[in-house]
Formats: sequence, structure tokens, C-alpha cells
Amino acid sequence: MQKVIETLLIGLSTGSIYALMSLALVLVWRSTRVVNFAQAGQAMLSTYIGFEIASRSEIFWLGLVFAIAAGALVGAGVDYFFMRVLFKHATSGPAAVVAPVIATLGLLGLIRSIVGLTWGGEFKSIEAPASTDGFSVGDGTIPFSDLDVLIIATVSIILIAVAYIFQRTNLGLALRASAYAPEIAQLAGIRTARTRTIGWSIAGAVGGVAGMLVTSNNFLSPYSLDLLLVFGFIAAVIGGLESMVGSVIGALVLGIGLTFILNYVGTSLVFIGGFSVLILVLLIKPDGIMAKGKARRA
Amino acid sequence: MESWPKARPAVRKKIAIFILIGWVLLIIGDRVDELRVYQGAQMAMYTIALASIVLLTGYSGQVSLGNGAMMAVGGYGAALTLNNLGTPIWFAFLMAIVTASLFGALLGAAAARVSGPYLAGTTLALAVGLPAIANQFAFLGGEPGLFFDVGFPPERFGDEFTQYKWFFWIASFIALIALFITSNILSSRFGRTWRAIRGNSLAAELCGVHSSRMKVLAFTVSSGLAGLAGAVLAMTISLVAPGAYGLALSFALVTGAVLAGISSLPGVVLGAIILVFIPEISVALADRLGDADKLNNYLPGLIVSVLLILSVIFTPNGPGENLRKHLHKKPAH
Repeated sequence: MQKVIETLLIGLSTGSIYALMSLALVLVWRSTRVVNFAQAGQAMLSTYIGFEIASRSEIFWLGLVFAIAAGALVGAGVDYFFMRVLFKHATSGPAAVVAPVIATLGLLGLIRSIVGLTWGGEFKSIEAPASTDGFSVGDGTIPFSDLDVLIIATVSIILIAVAYIFQRTNLGLALRASAYAPEIAQLAGIRTARTRTIGWSIAGAVGGVAGMLVTSNNFLSPYSLDLLLVFGFIAAVIGGLESMVGSVIGALVLGIGLTFILNYVGTSLVFIGGFSVLILVLLIKPDGIMAKGKARRA
Repeated sequence: MESWPKARPAVRKKIAIFILIGWVLLIIGDRVDELRVYQGAQMAMYTIALASIVLLTGYSGQVSLGNGAMMAVGGYGAALTLNNLGTPIWFAFLMAIVTASLFGALLGAAAARVSGPYLAGTTLALAVGLPAIANQFAFLGGEPGLFFDVGFPPERFGDEFTQYKWFFWIASFIALIALFITSNILSSRFGRTWRAIRGNSLAAELCGVHSSRMKVLAFTVSSGLAGLAGAVLAMTISLVAPGAYGLALSFALVTGAVLAGISSLPGVVLGAIILVFIPEISVALADRLGDADKLNNYLPGLIVSVLLILSVIFTPNGPGENLRKHLHKKPAH
């Protein structure tokens, strides 16, 4: 029984990091209709910047703040300098539909090479802001630590902040309107292009937090966030790519499920488990768990 | 079937062209040094792989970001066949196509059926997780992978005939056949149907096209081609290991296909040439700039990504398309 509870808790902590990544993907998908595979790269770049600050100042939280800022800037920059130009040019011909996706792949490669050329390929680690020793329960300790509590708390704060922005502010209204019906939003006086850039920067900031948190008890390398991207994508698909709430629920379910596989079956099956979930969701409920009724996807 | 007699002269002409290309390749293969012969084999491998992307993306309008993973499936299929059953090489290559197509059909039934970015994400996930999968199953040989040895060239070719030349012969022969078949598929009913779906899937469905089934079919055929390319790659490095089929390969393939003009089959040759020479250019650059270690690891990636981004922004349909537009002053589609 104790093992079940500790698996649940660890899964919650893992899943909450996936939640940030999948939220970032969903935010961009809603506003731009592109699954931003460069999100892993953007998060990686922000995490490296956060790592530099954190290791120089020896304050994790300062690093996190810089990672958030860097993520927001990079996100906005990607939209402003790449996506806008791309949508202006690639408008016709066989590649028009696929060009944005391919461009995000190119960006992922570009950011990875830049990071590799700047920081090199060796593993870096960020000193965790809290103890990674597990809590003691009875005579033993469980792997759930202060750090996990902190991760869950940080993610909750971020999620609440994002929810607040979207539900309670004019900016959030503009973001939702331009995602839902760009043309009508424009007629209502919303500057949709600018709103979209803001959406990208929120996504970038959220991704930066995900990168910092996942690195706080793991290593950082130019490839270390690829798996986070994949699991974030799977979580977003579980949620239907469209729904922010769905993506968070999907991420928590995925995190807990994969932790159960990790604890009861073994490390080696974690990826295959996640991939099977993706295939199953696509086969059974391709519109995701939040889909209401049947809708045609254009 | 009525159109068969009419189509025949065109097919005959195509056969003649392919035989001519093969003959030219044979002559070139005899005249250049070992390194170029080896690069020729790589080029043949890339043409097959790029053809699979052109078929999938340029014709049916879907994106696979993890074609390297599909190549791995073919490579493993071929290696397992050759190592465990001791079959002739041609059968191993055939099994590469079969394994990869079957796998592609299964994956496509889940991901290619639904429109949107699902196929891109699923294939990317597969490419990222490939090492994890290869480590999971003992018969795939884990990180070091499996040997794939097509053997020495036959004795009757003489002592002068090197191993690399043998690779080049096999690879070019396979590439010519694969391209011939692909070009026929693309100009057949299937190619037209795929283009119709890419153009407007709703309109295609109104014309009686079963669009999701055709998309899965496109992904299956494309996977088969990619698997064949994977087996050829395995041959040139005598090995099937997850490292050889990583994300970098998938990136390179997408780049090559975009540079070649995503919907132009003859363009794949250009794309393949670029892909083969990028490492060479990058090594030359790294030598000049110093700090070889970092540069050698990341410069090829940088060049590939910059090329990909620039071409996708400025010539998303390939340089050929822009040229054509310039000449005719009207879109080709």
C-alpha cells in the first residue's frame, strides 16, 4: 500500500512537469495551429540560461526567474521572427500545410546546435533548491522528497497564474478570442498578430519552467529535454491538443501511469508504455478526453 | 486497364532512361576513387529515403519527422533476416521493405488516419525513443546494435573490385529500381488521389476517395521505401544500431526533401548530393575555425537546420518551384 501511495506522489510530481510542457504545446497549437516541436529547444535554451545564472549566483530561484524571462523572450522571438515571416511566404503550393511543422523541426535543430556550440555537449546539473532526500515514514524513507513538493507547488502556482490570465484578464479574453475566431477577434479590435506573439511568449515561459524543474533533479544536455517534449506531446494528445485543462489532466494521468510502470515493471518499459498510450488514444479517442460530441477536424 | 496500352510507351521510355542512368553510374563508379564510390553508395541510400518523404509529404501532404525511425525498422528487419535465417541478401532487402511497411501500416492506422499534426508527433516520438526500444528487446542488440554483413563481392568481378564498389553497385541498383517503381506509383491513380487529398481532402472525399484509407496507404508505402533505405544504410556501415538512425538523420532527411523540392521526385537526387556533402563541408569549416571537438559535433546540425529553415521560409516548395514560377509567372498548381 505504501508503495502505491509513494508511486502516486512521485507520479504527480513527474506529471506536473509534463503538464507544463503539454500546456506550452497546447497554448501554441490553439493560437497558431502548429504543434511547436521547437518547444523542447526553446525550453532547453532557457534552461541553459537559467543554469548559468543559478550556478553563478547559487540561487536556484534567480535562475528560474531568468529562465522564465528567457523563455518568454525566445518564444516571442520565434513567433515574431520565424512564424510571421513563414506565414507570409509559405502560402501556396504543396508545402504550405506542412511548412510550419517542418520549420519548428528546423528551429529545434538550430537551437540545439547553438546550445551545443555554446555550452558543449557535456552533462550539466543544477543544484536542487530543496533536499532530494525522501521523507521518512515509519522506519524507512520514501523517494518522495522536499524537491517534489516544491515542484508540485511551483507548477500549481504557474497553472493558477496561467488560468487567471486566461479567465480573468482582458489579455486572456483576447488570447481566447483570437484562438477561437481570429477574423472575428480582429473585427472586434483585437490585434491578433500581437496577441499571438504574447501567447507564444507565455508558452515559452511555461516551457522554461518545465526545463528548469526537470533539470533540478536530473542532468542537462542538448538532448535532455527531447523526452520531455515527447511526453508533453502525448499528454497534449490525451487532452485533445485543444484543451488546456485536458492537457494538464492528461499529463498528470500520464505521469502517474508511467511512474507505476517505472516502479512495478522497470525503467526500460517507460518509453514503450508512453508510446503505447499515444497509439491507444489515437485509435480510441483521437479527439482527446475533453472532446464533446463529434466534431470535424479541418 | 484500358489505359494500359496507352501508358506503355511512357513506361518503356522511363525504363530506357533508368537503364541509361544505371549505365552512366557504372562508368562513373569505375573512374572515381574509393571515397567517392562510398559517397555514391550513401547518395543512393539518401535518394531512396528522400523519395519516401517526397511520396508522403509532397504527394499525400502528411509530415513524418521521424523517418529515421522507419529506416531503423527496415534496417533491423533486414539484419534479423540475414543473421538468423541466413538468406540471400536480396531477400534481406525485401524483408526490410516488408517489415517497415507492416510497421508503417500499424502506426499509420493510428496516426495517419486522423489529420493534423498527429503523424508528425508520433513519428518524432518514435525517433526520440528508438534507443530505449532497441535496448528493451535483447534480440535487437541494444546500443551496439546488430551486424549487417552483405559479404564480399563475387569472385568473378576480379581482385580489383573493392568492397565499397560492391556497396555502390548494390545501393545504386536498389535505388534505381526503387525510384522507378516510386515514379510509376506517383504517376498512377494513387499518386493522383494523394495529390487530390493534399489539395482538398473534403473535395476528394466527395469524388469518392476514401481519404483516411489512402493516407494510411501513403504512409505504408513511404515506410516501406524508408525501410529499404534503412537496410541500404545498414549495409554501408555494416551495422544496425540506434545511434545511426537518430533524430539527426530524420532532421537531415526532412532538410534534404525540402531542399530538393518537396514534391519533385527527380529533385531527390539533388537533395541526396547536398546531404552527402554537408558533413564534408562541415569538417572543412571546422578545420578552418579550430576547436574541432565542439564544431565537429554541432556544426553539421547547424548547417542542416539553417538550410532547412531558410528553404522552408523562402522556397517552401523547393528551388525548382520558384524558378518555374519565375519563368511562367503563374503557380504550377
